[in-house]
Amino acid sequence: MNKIFPSIDVAGHLQVVVIVIFSILVASSVLFAFWKKAKPGELIDEMIIRLRSWWVICIIFLFATLSGPMATCIGLGVLSFLALREIYTHLKLRKTDRVALLICYLCIPVQYYFAYMGWYNLFLSFIPVFMFIIVPFFMVMSGYEKHMGRSMGMMTSSLVLSVFGISHMAILVCHPSLNEDPAMGKGLLLFLIFLTQINDVMQFTFGKIFGKHKILPVVSPNKTWEGFLGGLIGTSVVGYYMGFLTPLDQGWNLVLLSFSVALFGFIGDAIVSAIKRDFGIKDMGDSIPGHGGYLDRIDSLTTSASPFFHIVYLMLLV
Amino acid sequence: MKRFLLILVHSVIWRSFLRLIIGVKYINRGVLKSQKQFILIANHNSHLDSMAIMSAMPIAMVHKVHPIAAEDFFGDKSTKEFLMKHFVNAILIPRKRPEKLGDPDALQIMSDLLIKGDSIILYPEGTRGEPGVMQDFKKGIALMVQRHPDVPVVPIFLDGLYKSMPKGVNVFLPSNSKLFVGEPIKFKSLETEVILKDSLEAILAAKTD
Repeated sequence: MNKIFPSIDVAGHLQVVVIVIFSILVASSVLFAFWKKAKPGELIDEMIIRLRSWWVICIIFLFATLSGPMATCIGLGVLSFLALREIYTHLKLRKTDRVALLICYLCIPVQYYFAYMGWYNLFLSFIPVFMFIIVPFFMVMSGYEKHMGRSMGMMTSSLVLSVFGISHMAILVCHPSLNEDPAMGKGLLLFLIFLTQINDVMQFTFGKIFGKHKILPVVSPNKTWEGFLGGLIGTSVVGYYMGFLTPLDQGWNLVLLSFSVALFGFIGDAIVSAIKRDFGIKDMGDSIPGHGGYLDRIDSLTTSASPFFHIVYLMLLV
Repeated sequence: MKRFLLILVHSVIWRSFLRLIIGVKYINRGVLKSQKQFILIANHNSHLDSMAIMSAMPIAMVHKVHPIAAEDFFGDKSTKEFLMKHFVNAILIPRKRPEKLGDPDALQIMSDLLIKGDSIILYPEGTRGEPGVMQDFKKGIALMVQRHPDVPVVPIFLDGLYKSMPKGVNVFLPSNSKLFVGEPIKFKSLETEVILKDSLEAILAAKTD
């Protein structure tokens, strides 16, 4: 048990973030309570439900991030499983795809094992190289060719979204060269999650206040150019000042990194929205009150985690 | 002993497995706790249906609830029959009518169970159908209601389990699904046609949101 949950030993600069996150939560809770008293309505009720989920999400995420690599890997593995199950629930697969799907589920523990061991090359090649060959092969073996291309495409891309992308958060805290100082990986992971969520909030706020020109009128009518640009700039600024979490010491590196988190986060959000629109559903599930399903909450992270890791890798280790 | 085993298998192992791994959500399960005895009717698309319904039962009742299964399908191999009888708590009935005196009569078997105070799970469609399509109901449910009008009939709608284990496959895979429990049906009259119509409507109405 001690291996999974070593006594939480949080370095000084990580404590700052934990305090910041909880102050934001407490401040919003107080603010919302006053708002509800002054002006009760449907909007504030929905915001309070969302905020309550945020409390739970933040506590679980902080615990998984700070308590050690094994807890992080197990926690993210469960998250990947829940996300993949959510996608599969809506995919219209053929009966003959079931063996391939079983293999997709079995990928999760293997991928997180590689992440935990810090076997960088295996971790990187397991899904996009080996599984992209093996999963379609099992479909071929089932011997039923109608709509096979569609199934192959859907299954491999859902694997990338729900397993490969998310697992990059695990390798952040497990990669040997990134974790010579054990607080380094944790700091980077917190930086990534914090910025991705800040980007969501910034996009939402700027969109609500200044939003006029729709950026994706068909797929996601709520997104505007103003919100998108506000998110990019706001996140870069916040990222620059949160730089103490990362081992990067040059300002332009931090701005570039935060900028990419915002950009790729937006792309992930748009991709998941498009998939939902294709399935004809509003949310992927109803597991998190006020937020929809798990994949609705982590949509930005599915695509921002892997570019983030590789940019950090290029900046620090190459 | 058998009761303990059934509680362990259904209320502990299966319920946690279905909830955590398969992703089944039980909705409005409280209805079951408020009744002492019932006839459960549900739509039928998957082999997992009976397991899901059994796992939803209150602990105090598990040993008194019997899924009704076809003898010719489940009673053909001794191991399958053993599992069905002792782990699923199922009662096997013949699908055909009794031809000569002394043959087992399906309706009589079910009646005896209800008289004993036990509950039964019936699939009025008779067999597993295609998902989303309700087949015509068999008359058995109406005959049971006419014989035992005092036993409440509770409708259950199973949504999504067919994705986890469709007809014709032997492996189940995780896929979010829901088990809705409806309120006990109040039949407008005890005519066969009316009972069948009310049952169908009640099963469909059990699905909320």
